[in-house]
Amino acid sequence: MTAAPLLVVRDLSVLAPHGALVRDVAFEVAHGRTLALVGESGSGKSLTALATMGLLPPGLEVGPGTRATFEGAPLALGDEPAMRALRGRRIAMVFQDPMSCLNPFLRIGAQIAEALQRAGLRGATARRQRTLALLGEVELADPAYARRYPHELSGGQQQRVMIAMALAGSPDLLVADEPTSALDTSVQAEVTRLLLRLQDSRGMAMLFITHDLALARTLADEIAVMRTGEIVEAGPAARVLSAPRLAYTERLVSARRILLSAPATERPGSDEPVLAVEGLAVDYPGKGLFGKPLRALAGASFTLARGRTLGLLGESGSGKSTLAAAIVGLRRPAEGRIRLPGCTLTAERPTIPQALRRRCQLVFQNPAGALNPRLTIERLAGEPMRLAGMSRAESRDRVADAIAAVGLDPALLGRYPHQISGGQRQRVCIARALLCEPDLLVCDEAVSALDATVQVQILMLLRRLQQERGFAMLFVGHDPDVVGWIADEVLVMHRGRIVDRCAARDLGADDRHEHTRCLLAARPDRLAA
Amino acid sequence: MNTLAGLALRLGKMLLQAAAIVVLVFLLARVVPGDTVDVLATQGDLTDAQQQVMRHELGLDRSIGAQLLAWSSAALAGDFGESIRFRRPVAGMLATALPTTLRFAGMSFVVGLVIAFGLAVMAATSGSRRTTALIDAVNIWSIAFPTFCVGVLGILVFSVWLGWLPVLGSMVLPVLIVGIDSAGQIVKPLYEELREATAAAHVRTARAKGLHPLRVVVVHLLPTALPIALTLSGLVLAGLVAGTLTMEVLFGLPGMGSLLLNAIHGRDYPVIQATIVVIAVALVVINALTDILHRLIDPRVTA
Repeated sequence: MTAAPLLVVRDLSVLAPHGALVRDVAFEVAHGRTLALVGESGSGKSLTALATMGLLPPGLEVGPGTRATFEGAPLALGDEPAMRALRGRRIAMVFQDPMSCLNPFLRIGAQIAEALQRAGLRGATARRQRTLALLGEVELADPAYARRYPHELSGGQQQRVMIAMALAGSPDLLVADEPTSALDTSVQAEVTRLLLRLQDSRGMAMLFITHDLALARTLADEIAVMRTGEIVEAGPAARVLSAPRLAYTERLVSARRILLSAPATERPGSDEPVLAVEGLAVDYPGKGLFGKPLRALAGASFTLARGRTLGLLGESGSGKSTLAAAIVGLRRPAEGRIRLPGCTLTAERPTIPQALRRRCQLVFQNPAGALNPRLTIERLAGEPMRLAGMSRAESRDRVADAIAAVGLDPALLGRYPHQISGGQRQRVCIARALLCEPDLLVCDEAVSALDATVQVQILMLLRRLQQERGFAMLFVGHDPDVVGWIADEVLVMHRGRIVDRCAARDLGADDRHEHTRCLLAARPDRLAA
Repeated sequence: MNTLAGLALRLGKMLLQAAAIVVLVFLLARVVPGDTVDVLATQGDLTDAQQQVMRHELGLDRSIGAQLLAWSSAALAGDFGESIRFRRPVAGMLATALPTTLRFAGMSFVVGLVIAFGLAVMAATSGSRRTTALIDAVNIWSIAFPTFCVGVLGILVFSVWLGWLPVLGSMVLPVLIVGIDSAGQIVKPLYEELREATAAAHVRTARAKGLHPLRVVVVHLLPTALPIALTLSGLVLAGLVAGTLTMEVLFGLPGMGSLLLNAIHGRDYPVIQATIVVIAVALVVINALTDILHRLIDPRVTA
């Protein structure tokens, strides 16, 4: 079936003061069809989407040679009034992080009504009715939602509101920039299904930006692969994914496949426990003056032996990060105890003594936030050495070794965090943790913020380092494939409790806890089924 | 319910602050060596016996606690005692001075906000170099030139040389000077905040909805900067209370500033005490109002 092209873009370039960020990009989107733009972060796919909307950030502009047509009529992507006339009526957009994309000061209903007013719907009553209808269409049928503020909704609900807002003008083209990346796996699945259903019922075309090939496979008719600002490969989704022409595309496609074919090699673990958690509970202070404390974690008990990896799997709000924070002494236990090498944490003594802290190290989700932007990589990684009172020369040698061990070029030592990529930053964080020679490494969503290809590299690195050095690892994550791949044993958490525990290779078994099966069923590559 | 509890808590805090100020001002006046009767005694010849009688009449021979209690219960009823110099009720003197100061401070506040918001919004949305340069100029002006210096120069230029304005009693010049000075104190952080807000994701969403630029600014951009703007406005208002006092004296406006200065010259303790208490309580109320408004504006702040 060949549909008439709705949007045609030719020779699109996006110029920054120091050079072009996107070059010679050409694509078309047909009526009712979906084009997925895929690529690693920094490949220019989001900028391409924003340029298509005429929403480039200040300082960037569409290059002079760019040509585009919308329904056959020429479209000047750099012409603000012309683009504004299209936005919200013919083209609408959904973004990545719904929380920050909604106005925190306005009720949901008002924000949707505003989009309806813009789309030309007169009369407050008509708008109110239409708002409720739109909310119903995104499966938020209760009229109470219209009166809520964005912060009173969950991430998935916020994204539904964004979608409802985008639908207000009945657009012909929906541009969706990583709309599910900031959401939990199961919520991701729901929102993806919703988008598919809406596209089908409204006959909308979609330009879908993602780094997740499995998602692209589910959604897209056509796929265009981007790398360093150019489209390097394009074609029908099935062809690009099954028979990629470039090694780069092949790498993107196979990244997840490596995780799915987990080599469940038995590793030489010992029986010597590094961590023992007994009946642990953690409370958060209640809201308001007389609010009851909120129990975020209850009745957690498990042990972790040297050289082994324990996976903590759960959605946001399941208490898994709280558990990780309590283990490294960042949260006070309300009940129970945590036995670590050399100390025991309880409600009375919730912190690890200074001298023992090096033995328990933490790697965070967002490496950019975990590194001081004003220090060089060498200073950052060498901080533990300086605390241990080591000489400069000795510290320098150790840091260089650690940097090499995490697979980084020693030439990066003089750089600052913003001058290296996200994957490289996470390697620096790992190097810094390793320099403390920890008995226990706690990784809190350590790969969630990274591209699929980089994810696999970091996971392989962690596994290799563990084999070489024999530390115990607690790996917290929401992605069953990732956690199942790296861990020996997996604990599944739900609403502050451990609801299931099993060997990692048994995670996919049919007789697992209902919630475990729920998490596994929501993986993007299972959605098409 | 939660909002109400928070509101009650904030109001309670405000009352405590006000009470603390009253006590502090009262004690300060008593710590200074020599009381009102001593001052009067140096001006006229008063025998010791006469002084004793006067002290008794004025209640100065009672304990500090008793004096404080008597003074504050009277003050609550609107009775601030009698001016020693003019033999008139202090409350009446305050009542004639206060409207002038309120008018002066209020007008300066409005002028300041209009200048600050106007420049900040213009610069943040247009990114024009000229406007940002103007913002810097106003900012440096307010740091470098104290209002009373500009005031003296202003009188020289506009009243003495050009003869456009009367030397005393006109509010035009002082309102402009204090207004620009206030604007200079807040325009820079306000601009930074607004510039950051223009890059905020929800402002981009508003643009993606195809809204008119003016609507994007008014409905989506300005509220984002409102909490900061409110805090800054509170600071300006507080600064105005002090700033207007010197300007009143300079421009001969019969407000609280002139009243206070005259009272200090004449060691008129009841007047000094009452004026300072009124000013301080005004500051406390402004502070509390800023907090409460902040709560009302931002739905995310609950407790």
